[in-house]
Amino acid sequence: MNSFLRHATRSPHPFPSLARELQREMSQAMRSFDSAYHGPRGVYPPVNLSESEEGYVLTAELPGVSPEDIDVQIEGATVTLSGQRKVEYAAGDGVAIHRRERQSGNFRRAFELPAEIDLDRARASHKNGVLTLELPKSPALQPRQIEIETR
Amino acid sequence: MSENETSEIQAREKAEVLTEDTRPGLLFKPDVDILEHPDAFVILADLPGASEESVDIHLEKGVLTLDARVAEPSGDRQTRYAEYREGGYHREFRISDDVDAAGVSAKMRDGVLELRLPKSPESRPRRIEVAAA
Repeated sequence: MNSFLRHATRSPHPFPSLARELQREMSQAMRSFDSAYHGPRGVYPPVNLSESEEGYVLTAELPGVSPEDIDVQIEGATVTLSGQRKVEYAAGDGVAIHRRERQSGNFRRAFELPAEIDLDRARASHKNGVLTLELPKSPALQPRQIEIETR
Repeated sequence: MSENETSEIQAREKAEVLTEDTRPGLLFKPDVDILEHPDAFVILADLPGASEESVDIHLEKGVLTLDARVAEPSGDRQTRYAEYREGGYHREFRISDDVDAAGVSAKMRDGVLELRLPKSPESRPRRIEVAAA
């Protein structure tokens, strides 16, 4: 993938703006997988990730998106979050729109976490438009106290 | 470049509100949609993380002020990666005299506040009967 990206930026392109846009989209797709990158712009929904010994907590702001419109998939260390945000209001005859800032559309993001997730204990909750994923680390990775047996 | 029509949402960084305020915490300007129906204005505001109880709506002298607070993040977790900041919300709107202040209502769902500002009866479109002379 990386070699493809470099090639796209170096070859002369008949439509320079299109080439830049392609490069930007590819960069964004790549950054979603790179957990060390901080603050990509434009990728929806914005997420925060925190970590404790037991596991990770991923939060995403999704105001106005009901749980039925959100899909969370976990495979190994990869979490995929996708869905649709519908901004619906009764529009039609006699309704004027003075301001329109809230966006609607599809979203899909995938995250590569540094450690494998224990699928059985993974939990997703949704409150006040914020999605919270509790992702405990696989037991094999957690530090354990080894008892010293005495005979 | 993409021929298919599925629209992808672009995220934007939250706009921070700079106020001369002695209270701690960040404040952001929420995204809103403002609609005008024949009989009412409707304001929809994105307030992710805010509960109904924390929303404060104040209408005085033609200015509608919207404030909301977000719960402090709890726990001993270390932030590893942050694309958005958490904080309260604040936005002000100039409201025309057409609005019937006593009739303002609000409801909230999934972090979205819906404010309904009914127009006073005199300012609603009326059908004028034409009498035969």
